[in-house]
Amino acid sequence: MKFGKRLKQQIEQSLPGWRDKFLSYKELKKLLKLISAAAAPPLSGSPEYGKAEAEFMCLLNNEIEKFNAFFMEQEEDFVIRHKELPHRIQKVIDKWGPDGTHPSEFEYREEMAKIRKDIVNFHGEMVLLMNYSNINYTGLAKILKKYDKRTGGVLRLPFIQKVLGQPFFTTDLISKLVKECETTIDMVFPPSQPTGIFHEAMAVPGEGIFRNTVAALLTMEEIRRGSSTYSQFSLPPLNLPDFDVIQSLQVLSPIQIQIP
Amino acid sequence: MEAKPALSIQRSGARQISNFGASGALTSSFPVLEGTYPKFSDSQHLSLERELMHRPPSGVSPLSSTSGVVGHIFSSSSGFSTDLQFSSVQQQEKHPRQPPFISQSTSSVKSAIRPHSVDSQVLQSTASSNFNKENNVPWCTDTLPDFLDFPINTTIQNGQLDGNNSGSIVIASEDLSKPNDWQDWADQLITDDDALTTDWNGLLADTSVADPVPKASYQMSQQSTSFSTQQTHISQQIPGTPGEICNSAGQSSSGNAAPAKQRMRWTPELHEAFVESVNKLGGSERATPKGVLKLMKVESLTIYHVKSHLQKYRTARYKPETTEGVPQVLPSLFAITYILSFLFIILLHHFLYTESSEKRPAATIDELSSLDLKTGIEITEALRLQMEVQKRLHEQLEIQRNLQLRIEEQGKYLQMMFEKQCKSGIDLLKAGPSTGQNSSKELTEAVQNSSAKKNLGVEPSNNETEGQPSNIARKALGETSQLAQEKQSIPEAVQIPEASVDATPDSPSAKRAKINE
Repeated sequence: MKFGKRLKQQIEQSLPGWRDKFLSYKELKKLLKLISAAAAPPLSGSPEYGKAEAEFMCLLNNEIEKFNAFFMEQEEDFVIRHKELPHRIQKVIDKWGPDGTHPSEFEYREEMAKIRKDIVNFHGEMVLLMNYSNINYTGLAKILKKYDKRTGGVLRLPFIQKVLGQPFFTTDLISKLVKECETTIDMVFPPSQPTGIFHEAMAVPGEGIFRNTVAALLTMEEIRRGSSTYSQFSLPPLNLPDFDVIQSLQVLSPIQIQIP
Repeated sequence: MEAKPALSIQRSGARQISNFGASGALTSSFPVLEGTYPKFSDSQHLSLERELMHRPPSGVSPLSSTSGVVGHIFSSSSGFSTDLQFSSVQQQEKHPRQPPFISQSTSSVKSAIRPHSVDSQVLQSTASSNFNKENNVPWCTDTLPDFLDFPINTTIQNGQLDGNNSGSIVIASEDLSKPNDWQDWADQLITDDDALTTDWNGLLADTSVADPVPKASYQMSQQSTSFSTQQTHISQQIPGTPGEICNSAGQSSSGNAAPAKQRMRWTPELHEAFVESVNKLGGSERATPKGVLKLMKVESLTIYHVKSHLQKYRTARYKPETTEGVPQVLPSLFAITYILSFLFIILLHHFLYTESSEKRPAATIDELSSLDLKTGIEITEALRLQMEVQKRLHEQLEIQRNLQLRIEEQGKYLQMMFEKQCKSGIDLLKAGPSTGQNSSKELTEAVQNSSAKKNLGVEPSNNETEGQPSNIARKALGETSQLAQEKQSIPEAVQIPEASVDATPDSPSAKRAKINE
């Protein structure tokens, strides 16, 4: 149930539109219980067993469809936004260029600030999508492992192989966009004072992307902290530099500030 | 015949399901699905459907217990019906244990795969017609409401089953009414991978709408037409990374029952072609979906794809970046109001004191600038912090993903070795002792290597504190290539490139198929 709890936390802290797109881990576990209950009187031909098994498989596949659909939709959006970003930046530079008059300097800075914020959030959203993909994969792997354990089946290995090829798990494109986004950000941001990023513990308000990212990192660490059933298929514990500082980024309850 | 590969897939699927613990009688249940498509034409289709409808559920009772499993497992394959990898098809034929699930491929899609998805979709339509007429299996109808309770965006309703691609449940009913004597079809037809050509497209493209029942199948076949045409033309026309067509048969978020409602995977290249076409037509406002579709000349694309994409494009251009309703960084909100209020004050100042010397406004503005600069800097710093965290998360995600892939590769490799061992163990009983020795030696070596690999896998994670995650990926690369040198079985397939994982199950499965003959 540890993972289930973590997943639930993660879902709660995720972007509102995403909440129902995550893995129905609890549901799958319930079905799994049903299956092992039905299999206990060892009638693998019994109707209840077949029914439960069928439901389980059906849900699994539906979940994957759900992931794929959502993921590709988001990916499409990202591709579009990614392409539009340089245009937008160029427009701002042209309109309120550095050699404009003073009043427009404010505008320029304001617009640039807006752009910077948007780029950073865009970056964050993409990373969160990757996190979405990963946590769903992890959940699937766990469920499949439980299935094999409870029913003695051999579902896990081949199924996971298929999952690995699914669109929602092939996040290469998103990763590439993220890297390109980082380059753009470096261009748009003024040169930085490199040190001291993580000096102060900062309150991270809102329901937004930053909060999500912090939560995702923390969740990842917790999930990988060490399992009771460590096997060759388990991930090693996460060793994150600056982890204590990240933890000190207090995640506050959302502040309801609406911007239309 | 075009239908052959589909049949073989389904046959192996049947085998797979029997491995799942279902009764052996299941193999008889599958042939119906296979037998349904000896020739994919309208009239045949109609007659077949009529047959299915009229045929009494003879084999229902003995099958009912397990056919549910059959139905849903098959439906899972149809639910998954997307690009199949050619190699995975081969794999299925050779390894009966492989489930008939279809996986996505980011590379070019082989033509062998198409009919399967076609079949499944046509199946769904026939199943739907069956479902509406034969509700004689109690458990099936019972499970339906359960599915309705699932918190997923399905439009599965009793009345809507025919047009809709709500595959899984629909399939279940279909399976139950399968007669047993279709088994002959399955056994007769052979796999002919090359048979899948554009003939299939031609056949499908010509299906016309006649009446409600075939209409459903028409919709499906239309879908599969575009699906299959997509496959051939995608691999032929678009170089590099093409836009990928994915057949979200079950849960298409587009949600409606219109034909060709597959999900398109938009790549940057495809999008660029789109933007070019749009610009040629006079901009996003003036361009029409039809025009863009024509101009793009991407066979795989349908007007629905273009329409929805155009909509998104327009929104992105004219309402940029208002996606998150809640501001992410609180200081920025304050800063902006701060700036605006100061701007207002400045203007006021300016108007009130226009007579004064020119230097005065400049001085005020200077003060303002410094203030504004401060807040600006604060905002920027906050954003930088956000960036750092995001970058960190991205890094970790990449590492985690690579690890997961590696783990699965390892598992697969071991599995293969075990299978090989089993096989040669069986041969050993028949042949001489030498064969067995070789494979057992290989196997023990593999086990040793994998455990060594595992240990190495655990260690590098401790080096992460140095902040050089790339080392881990490099180490992984080193390990796997080391392993590959010793075993000619799974060579480069296991090498996972650092950042982007190109290792689709393509090459390993192909090699695996080769190894196991």
